[in-house]
Amino acid sequence: MKASKLLCALALAAALPAQALDLGKIVDKLNENPDLVNAVGGVIQNTVDANRTIGPQEEATIGDGLAANLLGAAPLVKDAELQRYVNQVGQWLASRSDSPGLNWRFGVIDSPNVNSFATPGGVILITRGLYRELRNESELAGVLAHEINHVLLHHQIRAIQSGKGREALGSALQGFTSYKQGNARQLGANAISGMSEVFVRGLDKDDEYEADVRGMVLAARAGYNPYSLVSVLQTLGEINPSDSTVQLMFSTHPTPAERLNKIDQVVGDKLERYADGVEETRRFYRLK
Amino acid sequence: MKTLLPIATACAALLLAGAALAESGTVIRATPLKQQPFLDSGTVAQLSASSVVDIVTRKGAWMQVKTRDGRNGWVKLLNVRTGGASGGGGLGTVGRVLSTGSSGTTVTTGVKGLSAEQIENAKPNYAELDKMKQYRASNQGATASARSAGLKAQSVNNIPYTRGNSGGQANDPQSQRRGG
Repeated sequence: MKASKLLCALALAAALPAQALDLGKIVDKLNENPDLVNAVGGVIQNTVDANRTIGPQEEATIGDGLAANLLGAAPLVKDAELQRYVNQVGQWLASRSDSPGLNWRFGVIDSPNVNSFATPGGVILITRGLYRELRNESELAGVLAHEINHVLLHHQIRAIQSGKGREALGSALQGFTSYKQGNARQLGANAISGMSEVFVRGLDKDDEYEADVRGMVLAARAGYNPYSLVSVLQTLGEINPSDSTVQLMFSTHPTPAERLNKIDQVVGDKLERYADGVEETRRFYRLK
Repeated sequence: MKTLLPIATACAALLLAGAALAESGTVIRATPLKQQPFLDSGTVAQLSASSVVDIVTRKGAWMQVKTRDGRNGWVKLLNVRTGGASGGGGLGTVGRVLSTGSSGTTVTTGVKGLSAEQIENAKPNYAELDKMKQYRASNQGATASARSAGLKAQSVNNIPYTRGNSGGQANDPQSQRRGG
């Protein structure tokens, strides 16, 4: 019985696009965990669903669930002025993007860790730990513009769909059946938890580099100095990588030096005519 | 006295900011040290690759630096890497090895804040998500606020990024474990 389900799962995995799944890893995982064989056998229909294109409403629902989960790990900083300020900056950037009408929401979450997150559908969260490192509004814009581009390019949802890791795969599939109700609250905590693995495993390096490059362009479009992202990455490069506050960020992103090398290579001096854009603003909100 | 206190506080804040900005970096390629942050400005000296500099401030695409032999001037931001002689790349690898991976079975103690475990063990908090709605800005409001902050929309061509040369996932805990 188990063997036939395993076969089924393998046939299924083989039918998926080659770049979407690492077959060897799945086989390893299945061998380690016989329960998973049953689980995979039970979600064949869901797998078919998971391979189709996820629409904007579905992205929004899944994204809200993922955002709620991150907020369950670290709530918003209790400072309405700060939260309104990051929304002013974030919305201005988003208004200069190709999707100004998305349900963009920005927030600073109460964690000393240095990190930021984008969820499908438009929720962007930056930690207090990262916010503290920012020198001015233009550096904040650099970070937010990077995250906005993860949303615009559907990086997180595609990472979940491509099923890196058994948790993300299995639970995302469960989620895909239940979200038809259209409300994140009905997704189920297990499915959300499984899909949240994307924040623990990280995206492709290419996703990060692409968000850096396009983020710089977006910051320039909004009138900021695009090279402020370079300053942020230089700041991150100074933090001791063994510091617990950067562990998750460094484990899910290329190193700051790798990102700077890529920016050097792809952007270089191409945006220098916008480098006299705004850096300091009087409205920049400094954390107390 | 009442007027002095805020000034004293501001001074203290400035001093703190100054202390936080005591940074150093390494020049990654031979580059001229300029008098001013412009390409056509005079050259103070030629810096060789691997020169160590202290970072004074940043402006536009430029960084004001002080060399270890006491010269002052400007270099392009992208010609400098921070985080040690290797530019942080080597050290970053150490950080990744120390990370907890995503098996869900590794229990890390002493990691505060938003760790992998906390994300994996979190329960959705919809009350907080609802709060985010009330802080939202409208496009119109954000545009007006940006204008008062001195921001002007620019027309900027996209810069194409070619995927596929970067070796895939940023960090694969599986392969890391296999690699020891």
